[in-house]
Amino acid sequence: MEFKLEAHRIVSISLGKIYSARGQRGGLKLHKNLLVSLVLRSARQVYLSEPGCPPEPPPAAAGHPEEEPPPCPAAWAAEEPPPPPPQDEAGRDCQGPRPRRCCCGENRGGCAGAPPPPHCPRKRSAGERGQAGSPVKKPRREEEEPPPLPPPPPPSPPGEQEDMETGNVASLISIFGSSFSGLLSKEPKGRRRPPLDGGEAAAGTAPAEAAAEPGQICCDEPVLRTLNPWSTAIVAF
Amino acid sequence: MGIHGLVALSSLLLVSCPPKSDAGHQADIISTVEFNHTGELLATGDKGGRVVIFQREPESKNEPYNQGEYNVYSTFQSHEPEFDYLKSLEIEEKINKIKWLPQQNAAHSLLSTNDKTIKLWKITERDKRPEGYNLKDEEGKLKDLSTVTSLQVPVLKPMDLMVEVTPRRIFANGHTYHVNSISVNSDCETYMSADDLRINLWHLAITDRSFNIVDIKPANMEDLTEVITASEFHPHHCNLFVYSSSKGSLRLCDMRASALCDKHSKLYEEPEDPSNRSFFSEIISSVSDVKFSHSGRYMLTRDYLTVKVWDLNMETKPVETYQVHDYLRSKLCSLYENDCIFDKFECAWNGSDSVIMTGAYNNFFRMFDRNTKRDVTLEASRESSKPRAILKPRRVCVGGKRRKDDISVDSLDFTKKILHTAWHPTENIIAIAATNNLYIFQDKVNSEMH
Repeated sequence: MEFKLEAHRIVSISLGKIYSARGQRGGLKLHKNLLVSLVLRSARQVYLSEPGCPPEPPPAAAGHPEEEPPPCPAAWAAEEPPPPPPQDEAGRDCQGPRPRRCCCGENRGGCAGAPPPPHCPRKRSAGERGQAGSPVKKPRREEEEPPPLPPPPPPSPPGEQEDMETGNVASLISIFGSSFSGLLSKEPKGRRRPPLDGGEAAAGTAPAEAAAEPGQICCDEPVLRTLNPWSTAIVAF
Repeated sequence: MGIHGLVALSSLLLVSCPPKSDAGHQADIISTVEFNHTGELLATGDKGGRVVIFQREPESKNEPYNQGEYNVYSTFQSHEPEFDYLKSLEIEEKINKIKWLPQQNAAHSLLSTNDKTIKLWKITERDKRPEGYNLKDEEGKLKDLSTVTSLQVPVLKPMDLMVEVTPRRIFANGHTYHVNSISVNSDCETYMSADDLRINLWHLAITDRSFNIVDIKPANMEDLTEVITASEFHPHHCNLFVYSSSKGSLRLCDMRASALCDKHSKLYEEPEDPSNRSFFSEIISSVSDVKFSHSGRYMLTRDYLTVKVWDLNMETKPVETYQVHDYLRSKLCSLYENDCIFDKFECAWNGSDSVIMTGAYNNFFRMFDRNTKRDVTLEASRESSKPRAILKPRRVCVGGKRRKDDISVDSLDFTKKILHTAWHPTENIIAIAATNNLYIFQDKVNSEMH
């Protein structure tokens, strides 16, 4: 649990850095943004990996899904209410190999933060159980982390997000090819979007809509859902 | 040689205003320091695009210990802020690197670069001027011809020394990304410049084109996983150069192999220690500086927590690893938050390649003697740098027994960082840039040895 909090904190710090890098004199520093995106990716993987999930590909996909929804809401809901204090604690636990084994705190055995693809089939089945609406809330919340935290959204199946990763690469390129300002909102409080149904289908259209509004939030949900952080940083070049 | 007994030779302030905060004026922050090949001249570049050159005063027979202080020789504005209208980006005037050319005549030459443009400067002295022109008077105004009654031959008369700096070449438009290093080839005709993704080879006399010799830009930028962080030519072999990456690897390339040196001749990489794995493993393994030893046999690299000596003949791991400030390993998250983890420290060899030096926080800098395996932490600050005062070794305590004068890790000032250091090519004289102050220290035994 602590590792999730700490990963969460690192994700928000990283997003804040990418955001503030936009206005830097001299232009975006490729090296620094690459490193930030690598940290963001690692933290995100820890953050999204379910407690108790084994790292290997899940042949027994049917057997696992029922495990997930119960821990998910519990884990996420527990994180939400007191963001500042846990973040302080998380900061202290930041280092060392522990972040990788995030779910061990839940006493659910080892989960070494596996690469996304093995999770995908399993997570998607969880997603099919009607949690399609939730992915959009999670990235929204992540993005709004630096400013005050809005009410906690329901958890999202990470696998669905990662599955959309490759699918939305092209849309990401189109978004960020034009302007890096699309990555994060300037006024997060006023921009809560209604949840999208059937996230995957909407993701394709949302970027196009958002790209038409330069300077506004550019498709934060699908962007942060896919959250290929590297692409967001460098495609801007 | 020993590394104890460093004496504050000259405690120079690059700006005279006493800094209330650590930084003082942002534009005065020193961004690079470099001795020339004889050590007679020391150049510094700052964030404001200025270059200041110091010259060592000749030895005085009266005071043999006073081996010659460094005084300002010349100051000039090398780069100005520019604006790239196409990308709507401002190009910083900060001088990233200065490299001296080997001296080939009475003039000195150096290359200075900001993020985009490299310039070749020629530094000449003028200590005589012609007087007695027929057609113009002392101020250069044309004389009234009716007053000219006889012809005279102008003669050269001595004058106060004037140092003139002129830009001889401007190497522009060679880089899309930010230039991080330049290196003059031992052939004295070419040099290379490296940005995040590419390395270009230039001829010193030709400004309108360069050859791209390394290109690691992927076809799809989303596949990018590493960038070039530093590069240097081999000191003796004009065909060899090395470049370091953000992943902690070094690549030695041979320009004879092919025109585009994307394929390295040797890849130097140390496998990561899995017990040290954290979110920040990748960041702290990024190499911030690489320097060949004077012998050309070794390479020195600096990453966030260590300096490493690599043997050119061994690719699997460094031959020596020195911990600069391992007590920061447990603080990486905070250092990530305050951006300190991205600080790029440089490293330096002494003239005989027996001692290596690098900077740290709290205005500390560290030296490691490769032979005795002893190391020392010293501080570059006004309090500890009274002229002629011997620097006292410092110690950072990490818990446990705390001695008097120890500094605890938590009271380190992370805004006081020594990123840029330089070692005189032959003598035990070091130049330390501490934010906007320049300190020059000399080994006490130096004068006794010579």
